Amino acid sequence: MPYPSRAARLWRTLGAVFVVLVFVPPLLLLVSGSFTEPGRPPPPTPRLVPDPLSTVGYEQALALGGLVRATVMSLVVAAVTVPLSVLVAAWAGFALAQVSRRVTAMVVGASLLALMAPATALLLPRFVLFRNLGLTDTLVPLIAPALIGVSPLYVLIYYLAFRGLPADLYDTCRLADLTPLRTWWRFALPVVRPVTAGLTALSFILTWSNFLDPLVYVYDRDLFTLPLALRSLSILDPTDFPVFLAGAVLATVPPVVVFLLAQRWFLQSDDPTGRLR
Amino acid sequence: MTRDRGRRQLAMMLAPYLLGLTVLVLAPFAVTVVLAFTEYDLIRPPRWIGTDNFTALAEDPIFRTALVNSLLFAAVAVPLRLTIALSLALLLHRRSRFAGTARTAAVLPSAVPEIAYGLLWLWLLNPLYGPISQVLRAGGQNGLTVFGRTPPQWLTDPVDARAAIILMSLFTIGETFVILLAVRRSLPPDVYELAALEDATGWDVLRRITWPLMRPVLVLLLIRDAILSLQFSFLPALVVTDGGPPPYATTYIPLFSYRTAFEYLRYGYAAAATAVMLALTVAAVALQWRLLRRHEALRDR
Repeated sequence: MPYPSRAARLWRTLGAVFVVLVFVPPLLLLVSGSFTEPGRPPPPTPRLVPDPLSTVGYEQALALGGLVRATVMSLVVAAVTVPLSVLVAAWAGFALAQVSRRVTAMVVGASLLALMAPATALLLPRFVLFRNLGLTDTLVPLIAPALIGVSPLYVLIYYLAFRGLPADLYDTCRLADLTPLRTWWRFALPVVRPVTAGLTALSFILTWSNFLDPLVYVYDRDLFTLPLALRSLSILDPTDFPVFLAGAVLATVPPVVVFLLAQRWFLQSDDPTGRLR
Repeated sequence: MTRDRGRRQLAMMLAPYLLGLTVLVLAPFAVTVVLAFTEYDLIRPPRWIGTDNFTALAEDPIFRTALVNSLLFAAVAVPLRLTIALSLALLLHRRSRFAGTARTAAVLPSAVPEIAYGLLWLWLLNPLYGPISQVLRAGGQNGLTVFGRTPPQWLTDPVDARAAIILMSLFTIGETFVILLAVRRSLPPDVYELAALEDATGWDVLRRITWPLMRPVLVLLLIRDAILSLQFSFLPALVVTDGGPPPYATTYIPLFSYRTAFEYLRYGYAAAATAVMLALTVAAVALQWRLLRRHEALRDR
């Protein structure tokens, strides 16, 4: 590879700095806004560090919004959904790599179709289905997406990962009379551990942020998840922004931390034949 | 015998996913299509009314506005999103100083929960308290900008509100960016080495090598993003602009369908609107399929 000239490298660095300067400020402003004292007139000049710094927004958000209870609900939903979705996706991906090509083609086709359907288009019919099953106003509809691995994309990624394993592995296991379930657990799953780690993180982020499903399935305040509690907090007083921004920060921290921990699996490997293959 | 058992186990491992696909994706498609021909309020059983819903939709000015809004939003936001994601991928695919940090920064807003992101913009766009207006007013007098003009009225002027929703959508391009980054990294390096030996300019390399190699993926992503715009326009319209400013400047089809169903309890009518949304999706997928086939045919020749 020819070395890029110094000027080219400098431009790339400047470009990278520019990207950081554009994409990070919205999040900084989110944090800054949440520490503003509620009820003060807007400052004459915009400031990044509010003056005075105040945690009243957080206190009021926790007191008014029922955020603690909502956080527990979100944790319960995530604790069931995330492991279940990873299990479903890993099983389905493994099975797809083993069954006949016709079945694989059909299921992959259906998965791609499912991936294309906008969530907003499935909202109403799913609601009618769950309603007729008597499952609205329970946590079941919030956990149900685990059955499609939260996103069918994750099933396809597992399928590609398991298909990429050497054929000898599967043959040897078959000769040794190992059942597929054992082959999966003892040999296949440990090899694709980075995939599992990355997908667990993504599944958590998606589940934790899920707003559409609770919006239509849950009306009982005691069952509100964090995104839904945030929405009612903002409706309570749409002008009291430090309060709902504080709530927004609390809801944002867990997925952002998980993302920062997991991003090296899909962003930072400079070698394209890297671990996801 | 063990072969049979093996097959049974594989079927068992696939079963939960197939159940999920059936209940959560295929059945909803069917339910939408059936409900679209009925009148349904959840209390009485659905009543078959034929194509009345669709005739009513065609004459409904609100629905027409929503349809035009949705198409307009996709026409402006999607190419912009794709251009930004592509530029970022081309800029940041190589190892260089800050490139790693910049990659993380570019995906970061996509990791923020949708509702938190919406509430953040509800504040950012506020005409009085919002930092955007404050920055624009800095240096100006009497609430005007330095150039003596009123800053954009994000929440009360129809054009500005539409622009605000588009602006919001430009920061959440993480997924597209990650895909394009992976695609750019998988392009054969020897082609680029050859181009460097021949002293090709950066513009030539982009136009003659990178662009043709990435075009099929870009077309797929363009169509995918166009479909997904029916999804990511929902929350900003619900939380930030509330479908307004009046009358219906930022009411998009998803919001129209949501309100019709869950606020006005006209489930059949909403299902018809949803069916239009699904029809648009299917048309886009069919288009994608055709483009892909044509691309393959060209390549095989």
